[in-house]
Amino acid sequence: MDAVVKRLIKAIKKEDDQDAFAELVDLYKDKVYQIAYRMTGNSYEAQDVAQEAFLRAYANLESYDESRKFSTWLFRITTNLCIDRLRKKKPDYSLDAEIKGTEGLSGYSQLSSEELLPEEQVVAFEMQDWVQTEIAKLPPKYRSAIILRYIEDLSIKEIGDILDLPDNTVKTHIHRGREALRKRLRNI
Amino acid sequence: MACQKKEEKQIDQYLDGELSAAERKELFAHFEKCPACAAHYRELNKTVMFVQSTSHLEAPPRMTDQIMQNLPSRKKKPGWRK
Repeated sequence: MDAVVKRLIKAIKKEDDQDAFAELVDLYKDKVYQIAYRMTGNSYEAQDVAQEAFLRAYANLESYDESRKFSTWLFRITTNLCIDRLRKKKPDYSLDAEIKGTEGLSGYSQLSSEELLPEEQVVAFEMQDWVQTEIAKLPPKYRSAIILRYIEDLSIKEIGDILDLPDNTVKTHIHRGREALRKRLRNI
Repeated sequence: MACQKKEEKQIDQYLDGELSAAERKELFAHFEKCPACAAHYRELNKTVMFVQSTSHLEAPPRMTDQIMQNLPSRKKKPGWRK
């Protein structure tokens, strides 16, 4: 993976190879979208943030330090964009709302589901929806730490690099986020 | 709530994978005697599992195309390739 990413970045920097950039987008789009969705809590904003993150990465590729992981840099752009948006906090979009520019496509249809029976699907969806709602209630700094730790499965060190925080602060944010979620989820 | 700050910290360290075998043994021995701490640990553990089990999302199908359509030119050089 790393060798592929390095080759693609080289091609983009040297030859402005847009096909290489499209490959790079394909490699990371699910993760970037996932972070954006979990952070913002709605699919319309998540698409918008993910798109902007890639466009910024493209425009600022010269400033990416190739001795570091590309994903760390890209996820940093993504989380910063999310945090900026959350600060400006517009009224909440609903997951039921149609996504602009699509025909009848709601947020629900974008949630990937394992092949479960319809009834199980409803239960699993309600559960997931609830967990997502509770994550979305966390203050953004705890939310980002929890998402990167438990949904993206990253190490404390990587999370610190992405969020530009010392390891101990990352741990504290995870502990506080975890504790806040515990209070809400413990009675299930 | 864990019964004391010390236990609360140890539970956090355990969940972060930072306790030695001896410390883990001590913590689990404490759980035997202390239902409050045992419950606190169980709830935190359950919370982590819930968060981890949220299904992984996929980006909307046409995202790459949409991004590529909006790509500005990074260098002044006009793109000649399709």
